[in-house]
Amino acid sequence: MTGSESSAALAALGRGGVADRVTFELVLRLLVRCLELLRPLRRHLRLFFAGFGALALAFLPVGILLFDAFWTRALQGNPLLEIEARALGLDPALFVAVDTLGAAERRRVLERCVAIGLGFGAVVLPLGLALYYYQVWILQRLNQLLRVRLLERLQQLSLRFHAESRIGDAMFRTIQDSAMVTQLIEVLILTPLSAASRFLFGVIVVSAFDLRLGLGLLALAPPLIWLAHVLGRPLRVGFRRARETNADLTARIQETLAGIRVIKAYGGEAFEQRRFEAASQGAFAAAFDARALFGFLTIALFWITAAGMVVAAGWGALRAASEEPLQAFGAAGAAAWTLGLFNYFKLRFGDGTSSLRLAFRTWGQAQDVAIGLDRVFELLDLEPEVKNAPDAIALPPLRRGVRFDGVRFRYQPDRPALESIDFEARVGAVTAIVGPTGSGKTTLMALLLRLFDPEQGRILIDDVDLRRFDLDSLRAGIAVALQESLLFGTTVRENIRYAVPSASDEAVRAAARVACADAFIESLPEGYDTLLGERGTKLSTGQRQRLSIARAVLKDAKVLILDEPTAALDAETELAVLERLAAWGRGRLIFLVTHRLSTVRRADQVLVLADGRIAEAGTHAELLARGGAYASLVAHEGGP
Amino acid sequence: MSAAAAPRVLGSADTLRLLARTLRYVAPFRARFAAKFLLLLVSMLPLLVLPWPAKIVIDHVIEGIPIGSQARPYPELLAPVMERLAGLDRLEIVLAVVGFQLALVALVGAAGSGASERDSAEAYLSSGHDQATRTDNQANAGFSVASGLLGLFDMRFTIRLTQAVNHHYRSRLFERIQTLPLTTFDDQRIGDAVFRVLYDTPAITSAVYRILFTPAAAGVLALTVVATLRALYGDHPLLWKSAAWLLAIAFGVALPFASAIRRRSLAARGAGATATSSLEEGLANVLAVQSLGAEAHARGRFDRASWGSFRSHRALVLLGMVVFCAAVVPSLWVAARVFSYVAGLVIEGEITRGDFILLFTYYLMLAFSCVELGSMWLRVQESAAGLDRVFFLMDLPAETDPADAEPLAALASDVRIEDAHVAWPDGTPALRGVSLELRVGELTALVGPAGAGKTTLAYLIPRFLDPHQGRVTFDGKDVRRASRSALRSQISFVFQETALFDATVEENLRIGNASASDAALRSASRVAGAHEFIEALPQGYRTPLGRSGAKLSVGQRQRLAIARALLRDPRVLILDEPTSALDPETERRLVAALREASRERAVLVIAHRLSTVRGADTIHFLEAGRIVESGRHEQLMTRPGGAYRRFVELQAFGAEAKESRRDD
Repeated sequence: MTGSESSAALAALGRGGVADRVTFELVLRLLVRCLELLRPLRRHLRLFFAGFGALALAFLPVGILLFDAFWTRALQGNPLLEIEARALGLDPALFVAVDTLGAAERRRVLERCVAIGLGFGAVVLPLGLALYYYQVWILQRLNQLLRVRLLERLQQLSLRFHAESRIGDAMFRTIQDSAMVTQLIEVLILTPLSAASRFLFGVIVVSAFDLRLGLGLLALAPPLIWLAHVLGRPLRVGFRRARETNADLTARIQETLAGIRVIKAYGGEAFEQRRFEAASQGAFAAAFDARALFGFLTIALFWITAAGMVVAAGWGALRAASEEPLQAFGAAGAAAWTLGLFNYFKLRFGDGTSSLRLAFRTWGQAQDVAIGLDRVFELLDLEPEVKNAPDAIALPPLRRGVRFDGVRFRYQPDRPALESIDFEARVGAVTAIVGPTGSGKTTLMALLLRLFDPEQGRILIDDVDLRRFDLDSLRAGIAVALQESLLFGTTVRENIRYAVPSASDEAVRAAARVACADAFIESLPEGYDTLLGERGTKLSTGQRQRLSIARAVLKDAKVLILDEPTAALDAETELAVLERLAAWGRGRLIFLVTHRLSTVRRADQVLVLADGRIAEAGTHAELLARGGAYASLVAHEGGP
Repeated sequence: MSAAAAPRVLGSADTLRLLARTLRYVAPFRARFAAKFLLLLVSMLPLLVLPWPAKIVIDHVIEGIPIGSQARPYPELLAPVMERLAGLDRLEIVLAVVGFQLALVALVGAAGSGASERDSAEAYLSSGHDQATRTDNQANAGFSVASGLLGLFDMRFTIRLTQAVNHHYRSRLFERIQTLPLTTFDDQRIGDAVFRVLYDTPAITSAVYRILFTPAAAGVLALTVVATLRALYGDHPLLWKSAAWLLAIAFGVALPFASAIRRRSLAARGAGATATSSLEEGLANVLAVQSLGAEAHARGRFDRASWGSFRSHRALVLLGMVVFCAAVVPSLWVAARVFSYVAGLVIEGEITRGDFILLFTYYLMLAFSCVELGSMWLRVQESAAGLDRVFFLMDLPAETDPADAEPLAALASDVRIEDAHVAWPDGTPALRGVSLELRVGELTALVGPAGAGKTTLAYLIPRFLDPHQGRVTFDGKDVRRASRSALRSQISFVFQETALFDATVEENLRIGNASASDAALRSASRVAGAHEFIEALPQGYRTPLGRSGAKLSVGQRQRLAIARALLRDPRVLILDEPTSALDPETERRLVAALREASRERAVLVIAHRLSTVRGADTIHFLEAGRIVESGRHEQLMTRPGGAYRRFVELQAFGAEAKESRRDD
């Protein structure tokens, strides 16, 4: 068993089972890894924060000016400061050098403030919106990076992983869980920081009124921390459960729709409907638990902070009633409690509690973000079974051939697939591999493609171990036509060009001719541009197989693997295809996996597989004469 | 289901129709909606009380004005309370007010009317900047205007309501999708279907909430605020008029942009569905992708589709900003006037600075509600896009059974296809007037070159397809008169490409016959030649197969599918290329078993291979949508130059046959 693709990891992935492993250190590690993701976007982030900072900085003086001019001058009648008068464009003689401002003057200050406010707003608004749009763009780019990275990882994982996992779960992680990365900066960094600083500011200001009240505000934090501590684990478990059940639901839908033919044929609609509804209910129940708990958190946060605020306001009211002097930082201050100060104190205290609430509410949301990201990294951290060696070399042009040397492979410990495979296939030869179903024919070819690595033994191309080659160049050098021809919802041309997107139209046509497909393609409504599967242009299995062969031919690789390529073709077509392939295949190495003996006759070498071992090897004539396994296979095929 | 083929255009009339239809759809839930409405109103009642504690404290504790002699009299409702407070000293008044506020906080989560003194309960979690993740909050929307115990209850009640409605409708949509005809079902659009079921259905509750609750809440809030303000500060017509202006502006701005929002919203959803489809396709075909070395290509396709969906969403955001700007500019002007007016009141000495905060805060609440009310039409456009996508799917022609479906007796003698004509959606004919008979007790074979129409013909029997001319009968009765489920319960169809499910071997086998006994299971597996390899699996019949049975070889999967078909004990057994992946030995045994099976049922086999077909009672040779020859193998072989004979000879002798013919 290899690396992290072990059954344990796979079992945890998509099948639940990981209750709560999100600790503080894990969140920090997630943060660090996500920050790495931000690397390609550094330039944009710097630009964004620069803009944001500039805007905030611009706000500061304007905000202070306007606030003071309005609140203490216009509304109260105090004279303006020198600098304010200049900024507002008002005559200092009338507005600064007086004791109080008359009603008319106050109105003028008000008008100026409103005008400047509106003007400033008119400038700042589009800038702010543009900045927001930029932020959305950056976050989307981040999300996109993560999505593609996930798909890439999924593509690298072996068939073993894909057989165990569910498509819907992978979809959920790639689209839903990965979206949490956009919230990362805001939820884990920005909001907590700004809320914390506002809170501290509030504490300081309130302490200026009365140290006891400042301490009171500060004292609201411990109960909230305790609340967060108590609810932390249930929240995370709840969020994880909600995500898992929703991924499960996605998988359920995908699986049902992928197998809809059988469901219809066997009348299983009602059964599938019941399963869907159960999964849907389960997803909603889990979402309810998670969200109700989160909602409870916000309510409890308010209970605690509001209680504190109410009591503090009452205390402050009594102080203001008796016009006590302020206990600024413990020392009796010059000012005393007044109604105005009381209102201001309430404002600041309230702001302090609001920011405290916001901080903890955001913490609650952060748990969900962390769980989502954890699910993403669970997938990203899976080590693919088959990877490039650090010093991987490109596949050179084939000269001699392919050799299997003592190869042994098992899908699972108790399921041997191939045992002691030894043979050689030379360039220019057609090697046929025959045998009953389940004897390991397709596995053999999968090993050649390095979809898996053998447990024991090696596979050599021109006497170089397969594992030395770069995966991409290896697979570019081998063309495959599979038993189950898999076509995609694009045009015929695009399907043939699948692995060689840059091929010319002429090359595509030539490949189609070798596969005896061009005739039927030309007869399609739009020829090579016909869309497959979208508007009912359904191809028969035989036609699909020929397209698949054309696709392999187009690759123009030295090694060609045909896995039951003509199973769905009638004898006449099959003959034509094989003839053309043989002509095209001169100087190449062809593997033909089949049990149709009409195809096998022309092979230079026939390998008979049985129970994962090579039972017999030789040419058609030799094996026939030997009267062994091969001979009996031929007898069964039968003539007229 | 290729709704993305041509962009749909939604007019205002369409939108109204969609909304009306949605309201009708949720009618079954009206009791709960009414309860929610009531809760909403009840939650807003405390708002009437909120400003007073602060006022009492300010006037009678801090300012020291004795109760009864303050500038404005209290509302009648509060009179009894004020009487009780009249004789108390300041400390006692403060204690009473604080106690009252604490109770309010506990019950409804509000102590006063300031922003930090009130809270609402909602359970919205973070979402990303794309269509799919945003709707998760909509699907589980739980909000309450109040907090505290009332808010807790209200929020939970609301989540349950939202979920109940969403569960109901996505189940209906899923049900509908399952009934779509096989041929219109496009398996490249699985992702699109997933998107609609999961991410478009929440538009239903969001639409209802936006039509019913948001305006109602906003309206009630607005009225409450007006009442409170009048009680506190008397009549200020400018305030009410400006609020009305704000409403008008919000509504007016909506009109020119409504159709743009609909269009963009549809586009964003469609792009999201395309991205989902692209992802699903890439994942479902991972073996092909790996073998073909086309990972980069597949990734490129997903990359484009995914970024396209992000771009689409961003366009919606941009449009939102444009609308916002269009609304904000006149609104700020109005707000600035009010601001100046209220400040003017302070300057004139009519109200204090403390009052300014209170008044303006209230005014903002009023303004906000009016904007909410006015922008209702705008908000609803986004939901309309989702609704359209849901209803489009619901309205697609599905496989329906006749209202007066007749029962179908177990097949006794034959299934007849009479002069069937079938054409593909693009007009190409698939079958041109085909007639054949499947008799119980006989093995019938369909042979012919690839693309001749054999599978199409076989699809007619379980009504996966209906001929547009001609008919199919069961013992003389037109199958269209019976229900599809009754028909299909008598038929087992083994497809060319086997589909197995992520379940155990047992469960896969039992799909067609849930009540089959273990003995029947084993017997069917033996006949299909599957029993041995199943027993050899790590957990035998209980072995989980993994996705699509990926752990088995193609031949093993095929044998399992055949066992599954046999387990059903059908009257009609149809096998499409059942032996193409089997080795000759297994094939021989299977054919023998089919012969045996055909003694008591009608068996139809589509095959290329002579060995499969040779022993059939009747062989039909199909070419280009027509039956060219019919008869037994021996008969057909004696026809000189016959199509069947040619076919057989090619198969048996291969190259030599062709060469020898050339010599002829």
